[in-house]
Amino acid sequence: VSELLQAIAQGVLIGSTYGLLALGMGLLYGVSGVVNFSHGDFISLGMFLCLALYSALSLDPYVSIVITVPLMMALGMLVFRFLIRPMIGHQFLMIVQLTLGLSLVLQNGILMLFGGQPARTPSAVESKLIILGEVVLRVPHVIAFGVSFALAIGLFVMLRSTDFGRSIRAVHQNAHAAGLMGIDVGRIQVLTFALSIGILAIAAALLLPGTPIQPTQGLRYTVITLLVVMLGGMTNFVGIMLGGLVIGISEAFGTIYLSGELGSLMPYVIFVLIMLFRPQGLTWGSSR
Amino acid sequence: MREEFYRTLSSPIWWGVLVLAALLPLVLSSYYLHIVILSLVYVALASSWNIVGGMAGQISLAHSLFIGIGAMLSSALLLKLGINMWLGLVISAAISAALGAIIAWIDFRFRLGHLSFVLITLAFAEMGGIIVEGWDFLGGASGLMLPRDTGNYLAFQFGGGRGAYWVMLALAAACVLINVAILNAPIGYYLRTIRDNEKAAQAIGVNILRYKITAMVISAMLASVVGTAYVRYLTFADPYLLISPVITIEIVLFATVGGLGRAYGPALGALLLVPLGEILRGKLGSTLPGLHYFIYGVVVIAVILLTPRGLLSYFELLWLRWRRH
Repeated sequence: VSELLQAIAQGVLIGSTYGLLALGMGLLYGVSGVVNFSHGDFISLGMFLCLALYSALSLDPYVSIVITVPLMMALGMLVFRFLIRPMIGHQFLMIVQLTLGLSLVLQNGILMLFGGQPARTPSAVESKLIILGEVVLRVPHVIAFGVSFALAIGLFVMLRSTDFGRSIRAVHQNAHAAGLMGIDVGRIQVLTFALSIGILAIAAALLLPGTPIQPTQGLRYTVITLLVVMLGGMTNFVGIMLGGLVIGISEAFGTIYLSGELGSLMPYVIFVLIMLFRPQGLTWGSSR
Repeated sequence: MREEFYRTLSSPIWWGVLVLAALLPLVLSSYYLHIVILSLVYVALASSWNIVGGMAGQISLAHSLFIGIGAMLSSALLLKLGINMWLGLVISAAISAALGAIIAWIDFRFRLGHLSFVLITLAFAEMGGIIVEGWDFLGGASGLMLPRDTGNYLAFQFGGGRGAYWVMLALAAACVLINVAILNAPIGYYLRTIRDNEKAAQAIGVNILRYKITAMVISAMLASVVGTAYVRYLTFADPYLLISPVITIEIVLFATVGGLGRAYGPALGALLLVPLGEILRGKLGSTLPGLHYFIYGVVVIAVILLTPRGLLSYFELLWLRWRRH
């Protein structure tokens, strides 16, 4: 039983961060129909920026967010303005290929700067544990869980009740009509992309403590994020957070109950099964 | 078949190019021969993917499975059970075809959207990779080493370099020809109807399930056969190369950059990008790790931004403009 509880707890904690990663991607898809296959490499970039700040100024990853978030958002705006926006309206696959090209550039840019050795960025809380009965929780996971949910709720409130959020929803529902109502659709798309990259930069710092990082990890994060977004029905907020938990928990179950290689099969199996029987995603009611 | 196909078959240009290409190994050094062989492998793979991804519009990322089955299973059958590789090729192709049919059936039965199909096939591909790496019969994570190529045709050996080149040339030409044939046969029209509007296709009585399965089965078998020939050339069955989703991503890249759904588009993309990548690696690979891929990525982005409809359409446009002058 303690194993079961441990698996669920661990899965929920990590899954919340997966959910956060996927929120950014889902928002972007809702507003501009772009599926960003370099998502995971931007996470890598965020992690390596934290590493660089640690080795240069010995900043804790949680502190370096102050620097990495604005930096990555600015980069995101440039990328969207000059690379992605010209492709909107062309074949879906072209944008996918373009972001895959971008992923090559990011991944190998990081490789050139940092080398291919797995690296770790220490944090003050890295090895701290919280013990609840028979369940052992690592403090970075607990922080990740708290921050992810706080940010998700913050995003939700922003979408609900600020002008910016209302414009995002308007563009999502009908970009053409939103344009006629005087909303600058291009601006909303750029800002949403920057927002999704900013969220990534935070998530990167949350995932970082205790995790070895290497430049080639990007695609794996992209795939996990995509699975979560699909499970959530692409643009449904609650669904995406739920999808994050499902993937997180199935990953934790896989690693705890199954040996090595087979364990990593688990999220995919669960994903395929859910998609076959609930192709509209996890949430009920109208998801778009 | 429509006459377009027969015109291609009897076209002197086609055969001229093919004969010239067949003479290439007589003048190339072994380094460049290797690059050309690789390009042909990808011409064949991208063209076979095009049947599903370009014509039927189903962006399958499961092709690493078919390539991987063709490569890893036929090698394992030879090394572990002593089954002749020709037979291994047939068995692998049959299994790939069955798997392709199942994937196409799932797509039809559960009415997957575009993106769900992409991700479900990607999930299958990831699972396939994990299974191969975890199962010793298929070589596990360390792969399988094939016996040395002595040029014994009966044992699926073609004598390395030149022999491999001619086999690959034949396979690549066959894949491109099959593309031409399908595009000009009724099934090609049905597939494009399904791609452009599935509901309308169904309404006018196109048997969607049948054509989706046919396209996927042909594509899967071709990919598997190319996989077997490729692994024979490499002599080392490397799971990280042959059954990783990265190989599919490369294939899709070549097909998209060249021209999706066109007979010669994927071939064009592969013929331009593979040598570029290899030469960059040869020139820069040892100076700074990552630099050649970095430049390659920049080139890919630039090409896509400049020719969003594919290189083939772009060249056609240039040709038309030039003729008008």
